[in-house]
Amino acid sequence: MLGYVGRRLLMAIPILLGVSVVIFVTIKIIPGDPIASLLGPTGSPEARAALTERLGLDRPLPVQYASWLGHTLVGDFGTSIARRSAVAPMVFDALKNTLILTLAAAVLAMILGVGVGTLTALRRTGPLARIGNGFALFSISVPQYSVGLLLIIYLAAGAGLFPVSGMYNPSLGGGFVDLFNHLILPAVTAALVPAGIIARMFRSSVLDVMSMDFIEALTARGLSRRRVMAHAFHNTVPSLLTVAGLQIGYLLGGVIFVEAVFAWPGIGLLVYQSISQRDLPVIQAGVLVSAFAFVMLNLIVDALHGLVDPRIRTSH
Amino acid sequence: MTAVTEAPPGTLTAPPRVARRRRRMTSSATVAGAVVGVIVLVAVVGPFVVGDPNAGDPAQRLLAAGTHGHLLGTDGQGRDVFARLVDGTRLSLLAGLVPVLFAAIVGTGLGVTAGLSGRWAHRSIMRTLDVFYAFPAVLLAIAIAAALGSGISNSIIALAVILVPPVARVAETETRRLVDLDYMEAARASGASRGAIALRQVLPNVAPPVVVYCTALIGLSIVYAAGLSFLGLGVSPPTAEWGLMVSDHTQYIYTAPFLAAVPALAILVASVAFNVLGDGLRDLLDVRGEARA
Repeated sequence: MLGYVGRRLLMAIPILLGVSVVIFVTIKIIPGDPIASLLGPTGSPEARAALTERLGLDRPLPVQYASWLGHTLVGDFGTSIARRSAVAPMVFDALKNTLILTLAAAVLAMILGVGVGTLTALRRTGPLARIGNGFALFSISVPQYSVGLLLIIYLAAGAGLFPVSGMYNPSLGGGFVDLFNHLILPAVTAALVPAGIIARMFRSSVLDVMSMDFIEALTARGLSRRRVMAHAFHNTVPSLLTVAGLQIGYLLGGVIFVEAVFAWPGIGLLVYQSISQRDLPVIQAGVLVSAFAFVMLNLIVDALHGLVDPRIRTSH
Repeated sequence: MTAVTEAPPGTLTAPPRVARRRRRMTSSATVAGAVVGVIVLVAVVGPFVVGDPNAGDPAQRLLAAGTHGHLLGTDGQGRDVFARLVDGTRLSLLAGLVPVLFAAIVGTGLGVTAGLSGRWAHRSIMRTLDVFYAFPAVLLAIAIAAALGSGISNSIIALAVILVPPVARVAETETRRLVDLDYMEAARASGASRGAIALRQVLPNVAPPVVVYCTALIGLSIVYAAGLSFLGLGVSPPTAEWGLMVSDHTQYIYTAPFLAAVPALAILVASVAFNVLGDGLRDLLDVRGEARA
């Protein structure tokens, strides 16, 4: 098991290097002359040359990349253009909040997805089945920004059931209950799309397992339906984990809209605010950190995968 | 290819319930196809039918739906919401369709090449694409679009980049499945060049699953494209576009909540229509593959 996790960790290294190359490329494709935009139109040729040398822009690209990577690896993400402070603390603070929202949404999406998936797999007709199928269809198509807005309009602003935005109420001084109240609407909004996808995948996975020979064998042996179902569900766990891993990536990306709508102080909100200010160091650091978190979360999912399905550990 | 086959009487295979379910799937896909047709029609002729989407009278701002000849009311600048919705259909649809089209071409090219190549070329192409899977897709699109600067062409490029890897993976999987089949062996034995095999033997067989997959991607792409505009990375005001309308109308959610719901519903309807159509096509052509970006 440890060897399996170690192998997965080693495999993550080239992926993370690739991620850093892609981010570096997005820095380099920025149109326009970075020196001119830093110095303004009045910069003298000498000042230009000096700044070019100081920023290392006269060096070959691979050297520039290596130097950038060196800084990034020790947590130096540069300085924010708009806020004039170091990017790293900002991004890591925001990452913590984003992970809280992502994990809450992931749990919610799993519960909803598995519930609806099971329901629609076992029940083909009737109003409940129809509601389940409708949910699986519509939830994967909804734009999160509009669902978030609608929830704000009707449940937060309208009915006053939930806070409209933010993570804590400053007058209450924070605390877990306060956080939970603020978390509900954003988490529901973020969970909708993954819940729909998990429901669809889980439905077909339950149907697949239910049509296997061992189910018939167990039934023939006289096991109760409930016991048979327990065995069936055990066999759906690996495919469930695969979808869950994919959906974490979807969540980490999708929360940008949710955070923007609900003013949740995470990576998404940070990136959103930085877009209008064209604060690229913050945007790039935000994306880099999210990708890193995604790769790490996937490693955890892979490890769980190996834990529940011994076949995975031996094959590669 | 028929999805609906009634079992002959007396046989135990194909329980009727499954057959009925399939047929219903196809009819909902037909409805979805019709909705897609209407959306495309609106996108093509709509802008010629409605008036100037930017003409607004500030004195008539935030009118309720149905007043003074404004079917869906007016927005914060007194512009006709219906006209803007119709006029914005073209851009919103293009911003979602073009990236998928681009991804379909490039992704199929990469996937088929990888599938037919030797070990090294295959590995280097697929491992490179794996890197893109390490990003939360939307965030990568945002990083690219933000670096390139706002504008619809940049948002299209950004979305195309994130859609290529999943399409390439579908094409590669299909190609690998074909490589070992007898008819491919026959083609190779008859001396057909690699390019000829790719074009004549592989492409026709890879195309159906790729088309089905891409149809399902269009819904996602429309939502993402509008999302980029919503964040300020797509078209710039005062152009009429659904995502921009959502973000523009957000400031009135307390006074006129209906306003924010209108473009949001347009995005939802378009996205659902393409997704259902994609599902229907998948059932009809009986191709597998549920991977999603």
